[in-house]
Amino acid sequence: MFDLSPEEYSTMMLSLKVSLWSVGIILIPGIFTGWLLARYDFIGKSLLDGILHLPLVLPPVVTGYLLLLALGRQGFVGKWLYQQFEISLAFSWRGAVLATALMSFPLMVRSIRLSISNIDIKLEQVSRSLGASALNSFFTVTLPLAIPGIITGSILAFARSLGEFGATITFVGNIEDETRTLPLAIYTYIQVPDGAESAQRLLIISIILALGALLFSGFVEQRTANWLGGK
Amino acid sequence: MLSLDVQLQRGNFNLEANFSLDKPVTGLFGSSGSGKSTLLNLIAGLAHPDNGWLKLGNKHLFHSAKNINLSPNQREVGVVFQDSQLFPHLSVNKNLLYGYKRITKKQRRFDENEIINLLEIGHLLKKRPIQLSGGEKQRVGLGRALLASPRFLLLDEPLASLDQGLKGQILPFLKRVKDELGLPMIYISHSIEEILHLTDQLVVINQGRILGTGHFYDVIKAERVKNVANSMGLENIITATIISHDIASGHTIAEVKGKTLLLPLTNRFSIGDSCYLSIRSSEIAIAKHYISQISIQNQIKGKIISWIKNASCVSLLIKIGSTALTVDITPKAFSDLALNENEDIYCLIKAQSFSFLGKTE
Repeated sequence: MFDLSPEEYSTMMLSLKVSLWSVGIILIPGIFTGWLLARYDFIGKSLLDGILHLPLVLPPVVTGYLLLLALGRQGFVGKWLYQQFEISLAFSWRGAVLATALMSFPLMVRSIRLSISNIDIKLEQVSRSLGASALNSFFTVTLPLAIPGIITGSILAFARSLGEFGATITFVGNIEDETRTLPLAIYTYIQVPDGAESAQRLLIISIILALGALLFSGFVEQRTANWLGGK
Repeated sequence: MLSLDVQLQRGNFNLEANFSLDKPVTGLFGSSGSGKSTLLNLIAGLAHPDNGWLKLGNKHLFHSAKNINLSPNQREVGVVFQDSQLFPHLSVNKNLLYGYKRITKKQRRFDENEIINLLEIGHLLKKRPIQLSGGEKQRVGLGRALLASPRFLLLDEPLASLDQGLKGQILPFLKRVKDELGLPMIYISHSIEEILHLTDQLVVINQGRILGTGHFYDVIKAERVKNVANSMGLENIITATIISHDIASGHTIAEVKGKTLLLPLTNRFSIGDSCYLSIRSSEIAIAKHYISQISIQNQIKGKIISWIKNASCVSLLIKIGSTALTVDITPKAFSDLALNENEDIYCLIKAQSFSFLGKTE
Protein backbone atom coordinates (compact mmCIF):
# COMPACT_ATOMS: atom_id res chain seq x y z
CA MET A 1 0.00 0.00 0.00
CA PHE A 2 2.93 2.30 0.69
CA ASP A 3 4.25 2.48 -2.80
CA LEU A 4 3.29 6.04 -3.54
CA SER A 5 2.42 6.74 -7.15
CA PRO A 6 4.45 9.53 -8.80
CA GLU A 7 1.42 11.80 -8.54
CA GLU A 8 0.98 11.11 -4.84
CA TYR A 9 4.67 11.63 -4.20
CA SER A 10 4.74 14.95 -6.03
CA THR A 11 1.62 16.02 -4.10
CA MET A 12 3.42 15.36 -0.83
CA MET A 13 6.51 17.26 -1.98
CA LEU A 14 4.39 20.16 -3.22
CA SER A 15 2.63 20.32 0.14
CA LEU A 16 5.94 20.39 1.98
CA LYS A 17 7.30 23.03 -0.37
CA VAL A 18 4.26 25.29 0.05
CA SER A 19 4.20 24.86 3.83
CA LEU A 20 7.92 25.48 4.31
CA TRP A 21 7.84 28.54 2.07
CA SER A 22 4.81 29.78 3.92
CA VAL A 23 6.51 29.47 7.33
CA GLY A 24 9.66 30.96 5.84
CA ILE A 25 8.06 34.13 4.59
CA ILE A 26 6.04 34.82 7.77
CA LEU A 27 8.82 34.05 10.27
CA ILE A 28 10.49 37.46 10.39
CA PRO A 29 7.28 39.51 10.00
CA GLY A 30 5.78 37.25 12.69
CA ILE A 31 8.62 37.96 15.14
CA PHE A 32 8.42 41.67 14.42
CA THR A 33 4.63 41.83 14.78
CA GLY A 34 4.65 39.66 17.91
CA TRP A 35 7.27 41.90 19.47
CA LEU A 36 5.41 45.06 18.46
CA LEU A 37 2.15 43.83 19.98
CA ALA A 38 3.85 42.51 23.12
CA ARG A 39 5.99 45.54 23.90
CA TYR A 40 4.31 48.64 22.58
CA ASP A 41 1.04 50.46 22.96
CA PHE A 42 0.09 52.56 19.99
CA ILE A 43 -2.97 54.04 18.37
CA GLY A 44 -4.74 51.44 16.28
CA LYS A 45 -3.20 48.49 18.12
CA SER A 46 -6.55 46.76 18.65
CA LEU A 47 -7.45 47.31 15.03
CA LEU A 48 -4.16 45.84 13.82
CA ASP A 49 -4.61 42.94 16.19
CA GLY A 50 -8.14 42.39 14.88
CA ILE A 51 -7.14 42.50 11.23
CA LEU A 52 -4.30 40.05 11.86
CA HIS A 53 -6.71 37.64 13.46
CA LEU A 54 -9.35 37.89 10.72
CA PRO A 55 -8.09 34.84 8.77
CA LEU A 56 -8.53 32.80 11.94
CA VAL A 57 -12.21 33.66 12.29
CA LEU A 58 -13.35 34.28 8.71
CA PRO A 59 -14.45 31.29 6.62
CA PRO A 60 -11.26 30.38 4.69
CA VAL A 61 -13.22 30.64 1.45
CA VAL A 62 -13.81 34.32 2.21
CA THR A 63 -10.10 34.91 2.72
CA GLY A 64 -9.38 33.08 -0.53
CA TYR A 65 -12.00 35.08 -2.37
CA LEU A 66 -10.62 38.35 -0.99
CA LEU A 67 -7.18 37.31 -2.22
CA LEU A 68 -8.62 36.52 -5.60
CA LEU A 69 -10.34 39.91 -5.77
CA ALA A 70 -7.15 41.71 -4.85
CA LEU A 71 -4.46 39.61 -6.45
CA GLY A 72 -6.19 37.76 -9.26
CA ARG A 73 -5.17 38.84 -12.71
CA GLN A 74 -8.17 41.17 -12.84
CA GLY A 75 -7.71 42.26 -9.21
CA PHE A 76 -6.58 45.79 -8.43
CA VAL A 77 -3.17 44.73 -7.14
CA GLY A 78 -2.84 41.62 -9.28
CA LYS A 79 -3.41 43.55 -12.50
CA TRP A 80 -0.70 46.02 -11.64
CA LEU A 81 1.73 43.28 -10.57
CA TYR A 82 1.18 41.49 -13.84
CA GLN A 83 1.51 44.59 -15.99
CA GLN A 84 4.63 45.85 -14.22
CA PHE A 85 6.51 42.65 -13.41
CA GLU A 86 4.61 39.90 -15.20
CA ILE A 87 4.04 38.28 -11.83
CA SER A 88 0.87 36.33 -11.43
CA LEU A 89 -0.03 34.72 -8.14
CA ALA A 90 -3.44 33.33 -9.00
CA PHE A 91 -3.37 29.65 -10.02
CA SER A 92 0.32 29.28 -9.19
CA TRP A 93 2.06 27.59 -6.25
CA ARG A 94 3.32 31.01 -5.14
CA GLY A 95 -0.29 32.03 -4.68
CA ALA A 96 -0.80 28.90 -2.59
CA VAL A 97 2.13 29.97 -0.43
CA LEU A 98 0.58 33.39 0.02
CA ALA A 99 -2.82 31.97 0.94
CA THR A 100 -1.42 29.50 3.48
CA ALA A 101 0.94 32.16 4.87
CA LEU A 102 -1.95 34.51 5.46
CA MET A 103 -3.97 31.77 7.12
CA SER A 104 -1.17 30.71 9.44
CA PHE A 105 0.23 34.16 10.26
CA PRO A 106 -2.08 34.78 13.26
CA LEU A 107 -1.00 31.51 14.86
CA MET A 108 2.64 32.45 14.46
CA VAL A 109 2.10 35.95 15.86
CA ARG A 110 0.03 34.76 18.83
CA SER A 111 2.65 32.32 19.94
CA ILE A 112 5.57 34.75 19.58
CA ARG A 113 3.66 37.59 21.18
CA LEU A 114 2.86 35.45 24.19
CA SER A 115 6.42 34.34 24.64
CA ILE A 116 7.77 37.90 24.39
CA SER A 117 5.14 39.16 26.86
CA ASN A 118 6.42 36.57 29.30
CA ILE A 119 9.97 37.90 29.18
CA ASP A 120 10.53 40.22 32.14
CA ILE A 121 11.04 43.67 30.66
CA LYS A 122 13.60 44.31 33.39
CA LEU A 123 15.93 41.86 31.65
CA GLU A 124 15.91 44.17 28.64
CA GLN A 125 16.31 47.21 30.86
CA VAL A 126 19.30 45.65 32.62
CA SER A 127 20.92 44.88 29.29
CA ARG A 128 20.43 48.50 28.24
CA SER A 129 22.01 49.76 31.44
CA LEU A 130 24.92 47.35 30.84
CA GLY A 131 25.67 49.15 27.60
CA ALA A 132 23.61 47.34 24.97
CA SER A 133 21.80 49.42 22.38
CA ALA A 134 18.09 48.76 21.88
CA LEU A 135 18.82 46.62 18.83
CA ASN A 136 21.65 44.77 20.54
CA SER A 137 19.45 44.12 23.54
CA PHE A 138 16.76 42.69 21.27
CA PHE A 139 19.14 40.28 19.60
CA THR A 140 21.03 39.19 22.72
CA VAL A 141 18.21 39.05 25.26
CA THR A 142 14.70 39.22 23.80
CA LEU A 143 15.20 37.02 20.76
CA PRO A 144 17.04 34.14 22.45
CA LEU A 145 14.46 34.06 25.22
CA ALA A 146 11.62 34.06 22.70
CA ILE A 147 13.00 31.04 20.83
CA PRO A 148 10.60 28.52 22.40
CA GLY A 149 7.68 30.69 21.30
CA ILE A 150 9.15 31.16 17.85
CA ILE A 151 9.53 27.40 17.42
CA THR A 152 6.03 26.66 18.66
CA GLY A 153 4.66 29.37 16.40
CA SER A 154 6.53 27.99 13.41
CA ILE A 155 5.30 24.45 14.00
CA LEU A 156 1.72 25.63 14.43
CA ALA A 157 2.02 27.67 11.26
CA PHE A 158 3.55 24.73 9.41
CA ALA A 159 0.75 22.40 10.49
CA ARG A 160 -1.86 24.98 9.59
CA SER A 161 -0.26 25.40 6.15
CA LEU A 162 -0.27 21.65 5.53
CA GLY A 163 -3.98 21.52 6.27
CA GLU A 164 -5.05 24.69 4.49
CA PHE A 165 -7.88 23.99 2.07
CA GLY A 166 -10.51 26.66 1.64
CA ALA A 167 -8.41 29.74 0.93
CA THR A 168 -6.06 27.79 -1.32
CA ILE A 169 -8.70 26.19 -3.51
CA THR A 170 -10.57 29.48 -3.82
CA PHE A 171 -7.55 31.60 -4.66
CA VAL A 172 -5.32 29.31 -6.71
CA GLY A 173 -7.62 26.47 -7.68
CA ASN A 174 -6.87 22.76 -7.71
CA ILE A 175 -4.16 22.29 -10.34
CA GLU A 176 -2.12 19.13 -10.29
CA ASP A 177 1.60 19.67 -9.61
CA GLU A 178 0.99 23.38 -9.12
CA THR A 179 -1.54 24.02 -6.37
CA ARG A 180 -2.94 20.59 -5.50
CA THR A 181 -1.64 20.18 -1.94
CA LEU A 182 -2.44 17.18 0.28
CA PRO A 183 -5.91 18.21 1.43
CA LEU A 184 -6.88 19.23 -2.09
CA ALA A 185 -5.59 15.94 -3.50
CA ILE A 186 -7.43 13.89 -0.88
CA TYR A 187 -10.60 15.79 -1.67
CA THR A 188 -10.07 15.17 -5.39
CA TYR A 189 -9.41 11.43 -4.98
CA ILE A 190 -12.56 11.06 -2.89
CA GLN A 191 -14.56 12.60 -5.71
CA VAL A 192 -13.43 10.13 -8.37
CA PRO A 193 -14.21 6.39 -8.68
CA ASP A 194 -11.35 4.12 -7.43
CA GLY A 195 -9.60 7.06 -5.81
CA ALA A 196 -10.18 5.67 -2.32
CA GLU A 197 -6.84 3.88 -2.06
CA SER A 198 -4.87 6.97 -3.06
CA ALA A 199 -6.93 9.12 -0.71
CA GLN A 200 -6.19 6.77 2.16
CA ARG A 201 -2.46 6.72 1.45
CA LEU A 202 -2.39 10.51 1.43
CA LEU A 203 -4.48 10.51 4.58
CA ILE A 204 -1.80 8.42 6.32
CA ILE A 205 0.91 10.72 4.95
CA SER A 206 -0.98 13.68 6.40
CA ILE A 207 -1.21 12.04 9.80
CA ILE A 208 2.49 11.18 9.75
CA LEU A 209 3.52 14.71 8.76
CA ALA A 210 1.30 16.37 11.35
CA LEU A 211 2.31 13.99 14.12
CA GLY A 212 5.95 14.35 13.13
CA ALA A 213 5.69 18.13 13.37
CA LEU A 214 4.09 17.91 16.80
CA LEU A 215 6.68 15.46 18.12
CA PHE A 216 9.48 17.56 16.69
CA SER A 217 8.07 20.69 18.32
CA GLY A 218 7.74 18.89 21.65
CA PHE A 219 11.33 17.70 21.39
CA VAL A 220 12.69 21.13 20.51
CA GLU A 221 10.64 22.78 23.24
CA GLN A 222 12.02 20.37 25.78
CA ARG A 223 15.54 21.02 24.56
CA THR A 224 15.18 24.79 24.74
CA ALA A 225 13.49 24.58 28.13
CA ASN A 226 16.47 22.58 29.36
CA TRP A 227 18.82 25.04 27.78
CA LEU A 228 17.10 28.01 29.44
CA GLY A 229 16.64 26.05 32.64
CA GLY A 230 20.29 25.09 32.76
CA LYS A 231 20.00 21.30 32.90
CA MET B 1 27.93 64.16 42.17
CA LEU B 2 24.37 63.32 41.17
CA SER B 3 21.92 66.17 41.07
CA LEU B 4 18.48 66.38 39.61
CA ASP B 5 15.35 68.42 39.30
CA VAL B 6 12.62 66.47 37.55
CA GLN B 7 8.87 66.37 37.13
CA LEU B 8 6.81 63.52 35.82
CA GLN B 9 3.08 62.88 35.53
CA ARG B 10 1.77 59.37 34.87
CA GLY B 11 -1.98 59.05 35.27
CA ASN B 12 -2.73 60.06 38.83
CA PHE B 13 0.85 59.75 39.96
CA ASN B 14 2.87 62.91 40.07
CA LEU B 15 6.57 62.98 40.84
CA GLU B 16 8.53 66.11 41.65
CA ALA B 17 12.04 65.62 42.86
CA ASN B 18 14.87 68.01 43.38
CA PHE B 19 18.01 67.10 45.25
CA SER B 20 21.73 66.84 44.99
CA LEU B 21 23.85 64.05 46.42
CA ASP B 22 27.46 64.50 47.42
CA LYS B 23 28.06 61.57 49.78
CA PRO B 24 29.34 58.27 48.37
CA VAL B 25 26.27 56.29 49.43
CA THR B 26 22.76 57.59 49.84
CA GLY B 27 19.76 55.63 50.98
CA LEU B 28 16.51 56.35 49.16
CA PHE B 29 13.83 55.51 51.64
CA GLY B 30 10.09 55.25 51.10
CA SER B 31 7.16 52.87 51.22
CA SER B 32 6.02 50.99 48.14
CA GLY B 33 4.31 53.25 45.63
CA SER B 34 6.18 56.28 46.93
CA GLY B 35 8.00 56.82 43.64
CA LYS B 36 11.35 55.22 44.55
CA SER B 37 11.47 52.95 41.53
CA THR B 38 10.18 55.64 39.19
CA LEU B 39 13.01 57.87 40.33
CA LEU B 40 15.47 55.04 39.71
CA ASN B 41 14.10 54.55 36.20
CA LEU B 42 14.51 58.26 35.51
CA ILE B 43 18.13 58.23 36.62
CA ALA B 44 18.94 55.07 34.67
CA GLY B 45 17.20 56.38 31.56
CA LEU B 46 14.55 53.64 31.57
CA ALA B 47 11.85 56.31 31.79
CA HIS B 48 11.93 59.98 30.96
CA PRO B 49 10.78 62.97 32.98
CA ASP B 50 8.30 65.37 31.43
CA ASN B 51 10.46 68.24 32.50
CA GLY B 52 13.69 69.06 34.23
CA TRP B 53 17.29 67.90 34.23
CA LEU B 54 19.55 65.21 35.60
CA LYS B 55 23.27 65.57 36.01
CA LEU B 56 26.01 63.10 36.90
CA GLY B 57 29.16 64.99 37.76
CA ASN B 58 29.38 67.68 35.10
CA LYS B 59 27.58 65.64 32.48
CA HIS B 60 23.91 66.11 31.78
CA LEU B 61 22.08 62.81 31.42
CA PHE B 62 18.84 64.56 30.68
CA HIS B 63 17.90 68.15 30.08
CA SER B 64 14.46 68.89 28.68
CA ALA B 65 15.22 72.48 27.71
CA LYS B 66 18.54 71.61 26.05
CA ASN B 67 17.04 68.55 24.40
CA ILE B 68 19.53 66.20 26.02
CA ASN B 69 18.39 62.66 26.71
CA LEU B 70 21.11 60.02 26.88
CA SER B 71 19.91 56.49 26.30
CA PRO B 72 20.47 53.99 29.13
CA ASN B 73 23.55 52.52 27.46
CA GLN B 74 25.22 55.94 27.30
CA ARG B 75 24.62 56.93 30.91
CA GLU B 76 27.23 54.82 32.70
CA VAL B 77 24.70 54.15 35.43
CA GLY B 78 24.53 50.59 36.70
CA VAL B 79 21.33 49.05 38.01
CA VAL B 80 20.82 46.08 40.30
CA PHE B 81 17.16 45.10 40.63
CA GLN B 82 15.45 43.20 43.40
CA ASP B 83 15.37 39.87 41.59
CA SER B 84 18.88 40.22 40.18
CA GLN B 85 17.52 39.73 36.64
CA LEU B 86 20.31 37.46 35.44
CA PHE B 87 19.95 36.45 31.81
CA PRO B 88 18.60 32.90 32.08
CA HIS B 89 20.02 31.80 28.73
CA LEU B 90 23.59 32.73 29.60
CA SER B 91 26.05 31.14 32.01
CA VAL B 92 27.11 33.05 35.10
CA ASN B 93 30.39 33.93 33.42
CA LYS B 94 28.65 35.29 30.32
CA ASN B 95 26.26 37.22 32.51
CA LEU B 96 29.19 38.79 34.33
CA LEU B 97 30.89 39.77 31.09
CA TYR B 98 27.77 41.09 29.34
CA GLY B 99 28.56 44.72 30.10
CA TYR B 100 32.32 44.21 30.42
CA LYS B 101 32.78 43.20 26.79
CA ARG B 102 30.65 46.07 25.58
CA ILE B 103 33.14 48.70 26.70
CA THR B 104 36.67 49.39 25.53
CA LYS B 105 39.70 48.31 27.57
CA LYS B 106 40.31 51.93 28.46
CA GLN B 107 36.85 52.32 29.95
CA ARG B 108 37.23 49.25 32.17
CA ARG B 109 37.70 50.37 35.73
CA PHE B 110 37.56 47.01 37.46
CA ASP B 111 39.35 43.83 36.72
CA GLU B 112 37.26 40.71 36.19
CA ASN B 113 39.16 38.71 38.80
CA GLU B 114 39.09 41.55 41.27
CA ILE B 115 35.28 41.60 41.20
CA ILE B 116 34.98 37.81 41.22
CA ASN B 117 37.18 37.64 44.31
CA LEU B 118 35.49 40.56 46.00
CA LEU B 119 32.07 38.94 45.66
CA GLU B 120 33.35 35.36 46.10
CA ILE B 121 31.61 34.01 43.01
CA GLY B 122 34.55 32.21 41.35
CA HIS B 123 33.03 28.77 41.92
CA LEU B 124 29.78 29.76 40.18
CA LEU B 125 31.14 30.86 36.81
CA LYS B 126 30.15 27.77 34.84
CA LYS B 127 26.69 27.47 36.35
CA ARG B 128 23.40 28.62 34.94
CA PRO B 129 21.43 31.32 36.79
CA ILE B 130 18.67 28.85 37.65
CA GLN B 131 21.15 26.76 39.61
CA LEU B 132 22.06 29.62 41.94
CA SER B 133 20.56 30.48 45.30
CA GLY B 134 18.95 33.88 45.82
CA GLY B 135 22.02 35.28 47.51
CA GLU B 136 24.37 33.98 44.84
CA LYS B 137 22.18 35.45 42.10
CA GLN B 138 22.27 38.82 43.78
CA ARG B 139 26.06 38.74 44.06
CA VAL B 140 26.40 37.83 40.38
CA GLY B 141 23.94 40.60 39.47
CA LEU B 142 26.03 43.05 41.46
CA GLY B 143 29.24 41.81 39.84
CA ARG B 144 27.73 42.11 36.39
CA ALA B 145 26.73 45.72 37.05
CA LEU B 146 30.19 46.56 38.44
CA LEU B 147 32.06 45.02 35.51
CA ALA B 148 30.24 47.36 33.13
CA SER B 149 32.28 50.07 34.90
CA PRO B 150 29.45 52.42 35.82
CA ARG B 151 30.19 55.81 37.27
CA PHE B 152 27.15 55.49 39.51
CA LEU B 153 25.29 52.49 40.87
CA LEU B 154 21.58 52.15 41.61
CA LEU B 155 20.55 49.35 43.92
CA ASP B 156 16.80 48.79 43.84
CA GLU B 157 15.86 46.84 46.97
CA PRO B 158 18.57 44.29 46.23
CA LEU B 159 17.80 42.34 49.39
CA ALA B 160 14.01 42.51 49.38
CA SER B 161 13.49 39.03 47.96
CA LEU B 162 16.00 37.38 50.28
CA ASP B 163 15.15 35.97 53.68
CA GLN B 164 16.53 37.53 56.82
CA GLY B 165 19.54 35.22 57.15
CA LEU B 166 20.64 35.77 53.58
CA LYS B 167 20.32 39.54 53.90
CA GLY B 168 22.94 39.41 56.61
CA GLN B 169 25.21 37.52 54.24
CA ILE B 170 24.86 39.96 51.34
CA LEU B 171 25.15 43.21 53.27
CA PRO B 172 28.89 42.75 53.93
CA PHE B 173 29.45 42.42 50.18
CA LEU B 174 27.63 45.67 49.55
CA LYS B 175 29.74 47.26 52.23
CA ARG B 176 32.86 45.94 50.51
CA VAL B 177 31.76 47.43 47.22
CA LYS B 178 31.27 50.72 48.96
CA ASP B 179 34.51 50.68 50.96
CA GLU B 180 36.90 49.05 48.48
CA LEU B 181 35.68 50.30 45.12
CA GLY B 182 34.58 53.76 46.16
CA LEU B 183 31.72 53.70 43.69
CA PRO B 184 28.99 56.23 44.48
CA MET B 185 25.56 54.68 44.78
CA ILE B 186 21.94 55.04 45.71
CA TYR B 187 20.54 52.26 47.81
CA ILE B 188 16.78 52.06 47.48
CA SER B 189 14.92 50.37 50.29
CA HIS B 190 11.88 50.45 52.50
CA SER B 191 14.03 49.11 55.35
CA ILE B 192 15.89 51.72 57.32
CA GLU B 193 18.02 49.00 58.92
CA GLU B 194 19.41 47.93 55.56
CA ILE B 195 20.16 51.51 54.61
CA LEU B 196 21.92 52.19 57.89
CA HIS B 197 24.18 49.21 57.27
CA LEU B 198 25.68 51.16 54.40
CA THR B 199 25.12 54.81 55.10
CA ASP B 200 23.38 57.32 57.30
CA GLN B 201 22.75 59.66 54.39
CA LEU B 202 19.11 59.56 53.51
CA VAL B 203 16.60 60.81 50.97
CA VAL B 204 13.01 60.25 52.03
CA ILE B 205 10.37 60.06 49.34
CA ASN B 206 6.62 59.80 49.79
CA GLN B 207 3.83 60.10 47.23
CA GLY B 208 6.19 61.44 44.62
CA ARG B 209 7.63 64.14 46.83
CA ILE B 210 11.05 64.39 48.44
CA LEU B 211 10.37 64.99 52.13
CA GLY B 212 13.93 65.35 53.28
CA THR B 213 17.58 64.80 52.45
CA GLY B 214 20.60 64.68 54.69
CA HIS B 215 21.78 62.85 57.76
CA PHE B 216 19.44 60.08 58.90
CA TYR B 217 18.97 61.47 62.41
CA ASP B 218 18.07 64.95 61.23
CA VAL B 219 15.88 63.78 58.37
CA ILE B 220 13.85 61.27 60.35
CA LYS B 221 13.11 63.80 63.10
CA ALA B 222 11.95 66.48 60.70
CA GLU B 223 8.29 67.43 60.95
CA ARG B 224 7.56 66.61 57.28
CA VAL B 225 8.94 63.11 57.62
CA LYS B 226 7.06 62.33 60.82
CA ASN B 227 4.11 60.55 59.23
CA VAL B 228 6.33 58.35 57.09
CA ALA B 229 8.60 57.61 60.04
CA ASN B 230 5.65 56.74 62.26
CA SER B 231 4.16 54.40 59.69
CA MET B 232 7.47 52.54 59.62
CA GLY B 233 7.61 52.28 63.42
CA LEU B 234 10.29 54.91 63.77
CA GLU B 235 8.47 57.18 66.22
CA ASN B 236 11.37 57.16 68.65
CA ILE B 237 14.98 56.93 67.62
CA ILE B 238 17.81 57.27 70.08
CA THR B 239 21.56 56.99 69.82
CA ALA B 240 23.20 54.71 72.35
CA THR B 241 26.72 53.54 73.07
CA ILE B 242 27.26 49.84 73.72
CA ILE B 243 28.88 49.26 77.10
CA SER B 244 28.85 45.50 77.46
CA HIS B 245 27.30 42.23 76.36
CA ASP B 246 26.09 40.39 79.45
CA ILE B 247 25.55 36.85 78.24
CA ALA B 248 24.54 35.58 81.71
CA SER B 249 21.62 37.99 81.99
CA GLY B 250 20.85 37.91 78.25
CA HIS B 251 21.28 41.62 77.72
CA THR B 252 23.37 44.00 75.77
CA ILE B 253 23.88 47.02 77.96
CA ALA B 254 24.07 50.49 76.47
CA GLU B 255 24.36 54.00 77.70
CA VAL B 256 22.36 57.00 76.59
CA LYS B 257 23.54 60.30 77.97
CA GLY B 258 24.46 58.91 81.36
CA LYS B 259 21.46 56.58 81.61
CA THR B 260 21.86 52.83 81.32
CA LEU B 261 19.58 50.78 79.04
CA LEU B 262 19.14 47.03 78.99
CA LEU B 263 18.69 45.83 75.42
CA PRO B 264 18.21 42.43 73.80
CA LEU B 265 21.49 40.57 73.48
CA THR B 266 23.09 41.20 70.09
CA ASN B 267 26.35 40.42 68.40
CA ARG B 268 25.92 42.99 65.65
CA PHE B 269 27.76 45.67 67.60
CA SER B 270 30.99 45.71 69.55
CA ILE B 271 31.64 47.43 72.84
CA GLY B 272 32.16 51.12 72.28
CA ASP B 273 30.03 51.19 69.11
CA SER B 274 27.47 53.91 68.83
CA CYS B 275 24.19 52.77 67.32
CA TYR B 276 20.64 53.84 66.57
CA LEU B 277 17.80 52.24 68.49
CA SER B 278 14.13 52.52 67.79
CA ILE B 279 11.15 51.99 70.10
CA ARG B 280 7.55 52.19 68.92
CA SER B 281 5.62 54.72 70.95
CA SER B 282 2.93 52.13 71.68
CA GLU B 283 5.54 49.85 73.24
CA ILE B 284 6.23 52.23 76.13
CA ALA B 285 4.19 52.17 79.33
CA ILE B 286 3.88 54.96 81.90
CA ALA B 287 4.02 54.72 85.70
CA LYS B 288 3.80 57.45 88.26
CA HIS B 289 6.30 55.76 90.58
CA TYR B 290 9.26 53.47 90.25
CA ILE B 291 7.95 49.90 90.35
CA SER B 292 10.03 47.22 91.98
CA GLN B 293 9.53 43.53 91.26
CA ILE B 294 8.53 43.84 87.62
CA SER B 295 9.88 42.01 84.58
CA ILE B 296 10.26 45.20 82.57
CA GLN B 297 13.95 46.00 82.64
CA ASN B 298 14.04 49.69 81.82
CA GLN B 299 12.38 52.33 83.95
CA ILE B 300 13.46 55.75 82.87
CA LYS B 301 12.48 58.89 84.67
CA GLY B 302 11.15 61.75 82.56
CA LYS B 303 8.91 64.76 82.54
CA ILE B 304 5.64 65.20 80.62
CA ILE B 305 5.95 68.14 78.25
CA SER B 306 2.70 68.01 76.31
CA TRP B 307 0.14 65.68 74.74
CA ILE B 308 -2.10 65.32 71.73
CA LYS B 309 -5.45 63.59 72.14
CA ASN B 310 -6.77 61.35 69.37
CA ALA B 311 -9.82 59.10 69.35
CA SER B 312 -7.89 55.93 70.07
CA CYS B 313 -4.81 57.18 71.84
CA VAL B 314 -3.16 60.03 73.64
CA SER B 315 0.35 60.83 72.42
CA LEU B 316 2.52 62.11 75.22
CA LEU B 317 5.74 63.94 74.63
CA ILE B 318 8.13 63.07 77.44
CA LYS B 319 11.42 64.78 78.04
CA ILE B 320 14.28 62.66 79.29
CA GLY B 321 17.45 64.68 79.78
CA SER B 322 18.02 66.40 76.48
CA THR B 323 16.04 63.93 74.35
CA ALA B 324 12.33 63.38 74.04
CA LEU B 325 10.20 60.27 73.57
CA THR B 326 6.71 59.96 72.13
CA VAL B 327 4.53 57.60 74.15
CA ASP B 328 1.07 56.44 73.07
CA ILE B 329 -1.37 55.41 75.79
CA THR B 330 -5.13 54.85 75.64
CA PRO B 331 -7.50 57.67 76.65
CA LYS B 332 -8.63 55.53 79.59
CA ALA B 333 -5.07 55.09 80.87
CA PHE B 334 -4.59 58.81 80.45
CA SER B 335 -7.61 59.71 82.60
CA ASP B 336 -6.96 56.95 85.15
CA LEU B 337 -3.48 58.28 85.78
CA ALA B 338 -4.67 61.91 85.82
CA LEU B 339 -1.44 63.11 84.24
CA ASN B 340 -0.38 66.73 84.38
CA GLU B 341 2.11 68.83 82.48
CA ASN B 342 5.59 68.93 83.99
CA GLU B 343 4.78 65.90 86.09
CA ASP B 344 7.62 63.45 86.72
CA ILE B 345 6.82 59.95 85.50
CA TYR B 346 8.62 56.71 84.62
CA CYS B 347 8.74 55.27 81.12
CA LEU B 348 8.64 51.48 81.27
CA ILE B 349 10.29 49.79 78.29
CA LYS B 350 10.88 46.07 77.90
CA ALA B 351 14.36 45.21 76.68
CA GLN B 352 12.84 43.33 73.74
CA SER B 353 10.95 46.44 72.63
CA PHE B 354 14.16 48.04 71.41
CA SER B 355 15.19 47.41 67.82
CA PHE B 356 18.71 47.99 66.64
CA LEU B 357 18.64 50.04 63.46
CA GLY B 358 22.31 50.37 62.71
CA LYS B 359 25.63 51.84 63.56
CA THR B 360 26.14 55.58 63.56
CA GLU B 361 28.97 56.85 61.39
